[in-house]
Amino acid sequence: MDFTIRAATLEDCKDISRMILELAEHEKVSDQIKITQRDLEQDGFSKNPFFHGIIAEVPEHLKSRDGHTKVGYSLYFYTYSSWKGRAVYMEDLYVMPEFRGKGIGQALMAKVSQLGLAAGCNQLNFTVLDWNKSSLDFYRKQGCWDVTSELGYHCMRCEGDALEHLAQGDL
Amino acid sequence: MRFTICAAKPEDCKDIERMIMELAVYEKMPDQVKISHKELERDGFGPNPFYQCLVAEVPEELMSKDGHTKVGYALFFYTYSTWKGRTVYMEDLYVMPEYRGKGIGKALMATVAKVAKEQHCVRLQFSVLDWNKPSLDFYLAKGAEDLTAKEGWHFLRFHGIALDNLAQEAP
Repeated sequence: MDFTIRAATLEDCKDISRMILELAEHEKVSDQIKITQRDLEQDGFSKNPFFHGIIAEVPEHLKSRDGHTKVGYSLYFYTYSSWKGRAVYMEDLYVMPEFRGKGIGQALMAKVSQLGLAAGCNQLNFTVLDWNKSSLDFYRKQGCWDVTSELGYHCMRCEGDALEHLAQGDL
Repeated sequence: MRFTICAAKPEDCKDIERMIMELAVYEKMPDQVKISHKELERDGFGPNPFYQCLVAEVPEELMSKDGHTKVGYALFFYTYSTWKGRTVYMEDLYVMPEYRGKGIGKALMATVAKVAKEQHCVRLQFSVLDWNKPSLDFYLAKGAEDLTAKEGWHFLRFHGIALDNLAQEAP
């Protein structure tokens, strides 16, 4: 299939917002989305962006049933390992269902890797839900490894009241 | 115990390197540490730092058996959730064993949370090894959730040859 991968721009935030919701529906958590197109614009396209994005686009004649030409995205940011140094974290990787199986997801992920290596990173990290077998298989086929299963690292989070109390020193 | 928590300076990197190694020894993976104070200086202090760091220091009269006054650190960076927005990831939290139980770890974590709130972050995330019961208890007591246990999130990683191979496929 004919498609291009390019850096996301401010104008893409509307489509990114749409696809974030589609991905959340796939992960069965669409009621959890709290950020808007405007948040994406402010947080991704300012002097110190919190993230970077790449978009997969198809030509007009291949647009989706609903008329979209922006059919996939990946959202990533730079992180740091105190053991290995610079790293890149891929927060989202998504391709609209009707465009899957055509190498678009692969191309998006490869592009994030290429950009990461160019920035001096030596790791590409991300998370997957343990029940998401199709995604796990897709990633394992490319040679990645499961840090949680193999080393025992658990993802932990503080938010809401717990974060408030922590910040106030009410421990 | 008297101590201060301050933003790290480039000259702190040798102590941070020392404490990174001590933490890696505790996590039973000392051979995994590949970076030195040189990378820490390059990557943490510039126009686009990859990380932020706080250092806990005691006065001279309370220095450690080996003569150190920098006795703890927290290394963190900003990340992004496409569901909730700005987040902070705490990569490391460490206090030298002889200074534990005196509120230094709590103070470091509270300061990371405070900085996170100032930047309008809604989550503080980190990872813990599943066998590290003292740390798990410490975090769970502060209201942290174990997302791996609760929701099934696994960390996956590409590095080395697998990462190079992936990047070579980028369009």
